[in-house]
Amino acid sequence: MSAYVYGVGTSHFGRQPGVGGPALAQQAVLEALRDAEVDSVDAVYAGTVFGAPGTAQRALQSVGITGVPVLTFENACATSSTGFHEARHAVLSGRYERVLVLGIETMTAHFNGPITPEETDAEGRAGLALPGVYAMVASRYDHLHGLRPEALAAVAVKNRRHGSLNDRAQHGVEVTAEEVLASRMVADPLTLLQCCDISDAATAAVVGVDRGRTRDVRIAASALRSGGLWDHRSDQPWGYELMGQVAADAWAEAGIGPEDVDLFEVHDAFTIGEITATEALGLAEPGGGQDLVLSGHTTLGGRQPVNPSGGLLSRGHPLGATGLAQVAEGVWHVRGEAGARQVEGARVAAVETMGGGTAGIDGNGCVVVVLGG
Amino acid sequence: MSPTVQPPPADPRTRATSDGTAVTITGWRCTACHYPMTQQVTACMECRGEVEETTFATEGEVWASTCLRVRVPGHQPPFAVAYVVLDGGPRVLVHTGGDQPLAPGTRARVVAVSETGDLVAEPDGPVSAQEVAS
Repeated sequence: MSAYVYGVGTSHFGRQPGVGGPALAQQAVLEALRDAEVDSVDAVYAGTVFGAPGTAQRALQSVGITGVPVLTFENACATSSTGFHEARHAVLSGRYERVLVLGIETMTAHFNGPITPEETDAEGRAGLALPGVYAMVASRYDHLHGLRPEALAAVAVKNRRHGSLNDRAQHGVEVTAEEVLASRMVADPLTLLQCCDISDAATAAVVGVDRGRTRDVRIAASALRSGGLWDHRSDQPWGYELMGQVAADAWAEAGIGPEDVDLFEVHDAFTIGEITATEALGLAEPGGGQDLVLSGHTTLGGRQPVNPSGGLLSRGHPLGATGLAQVAEGVWHVRGEAGARQVEGARVAAVETMGGGTAGIDGNGCVVVVLGG
Repeated sequence: MSPTVQPPPADPRTRATSDGTAVTITGWRCTACHYPMTQQVTACMECRGEVEETTFATEGEVWASTCLRVRVPGHQPPFAVAYVVLDGGPRVLVHTGGDQPLAPGTRARVVAVSETGDLVAEPDGPVSAQEVAS
């Protein structure tokens, strides 16, 4: 038995102060319901990281979805991926036949610039903002494998080129490697054009039982874990082992490996995140993620494109909405509906979302989803 | 449902004091498995065994480092930070002064607690050009 994605939808991504969650949710949910060709659902699994209490219910009444169970998840950047994973299991268990998953985030209502570190977190209180977290990943990766600036730049160049083909993306302008490396340093060695932007957006998907329609996309696997203790005994960069464990879970459930996947959407909140993710997913050996991107293997037109949407680097990163944006991209490709950035002949897509921010563990949550096949 | 004004949350950072010449880093260690912890705990995070208060070494090895050059509340950019694995554990986050991150694999020593309440470390021994991360 499998669960299926009936339909997906998203708002535009960008800094949209004053638009508000309900208006963004209307765009995403109505598109998803139309795409799914349904007008009601049995439950809603919503997600927001920074939203106020009642964010989901406030948005849902604007699209006429009331009177059903509404649950709100929070799992940092993996929030709506977590909702998607749980909705799938709710369908597989027979609890519901049809679940709407919703991700919603209005980050400009909370931040003028980068996300403020959490005061109740030991490292957040010490000033380790998220660019610093990923910069530490880069530093450790460099110590283990040697990190070439041109590989970091190649991720930004590739994803921003992909993003130029995505009219929903926040930053759809192509850049050169020289521009990437010459942009303002944020946290050594990560420059501004290697960092995703905060964003306001909503995303939605309808997940349900098999209804025998060829346009529905099978969810071949999904896996979720939070990280183990990440401490003085750990040798690997933050998140690397967690991503690897969750990917192994997903490959085992799907009965395929990374070599069988036609495209990936991975968590490139910062360029180094894509390099470590591709290695953790098994696309490359440890240390081989740099050659992978430099070789063109992961570009549109290459053997296995990574982040054909443009990734978080182009789309922007509305935390609680990002996971479903990645799922939507995978669905569009497997259906052959991705337009100018379509991966030719795509049958299987994989999504990886990594959520973090808690000191002492290897990640708040990581989700890997396999679609199609 | 808007929250009222609240006192600042408890400081979750590694506890340390300085008498002006030396720093003492305190925390907890499991009496059964000897796991070291900087977070306030009543049982071991690893095995749930009994814990006792302890002090940790102030010297260790730089594990990773960076310099933040963006605005972070309570901290003036640029500021360099590093993870240092203290001898015998645990790993702590330290500020290292200036804007040149210390190179992973080199030795460092916690020498002060900053006005902002953060551990401050310096290279342990003479600094060579190779010890400053490029």
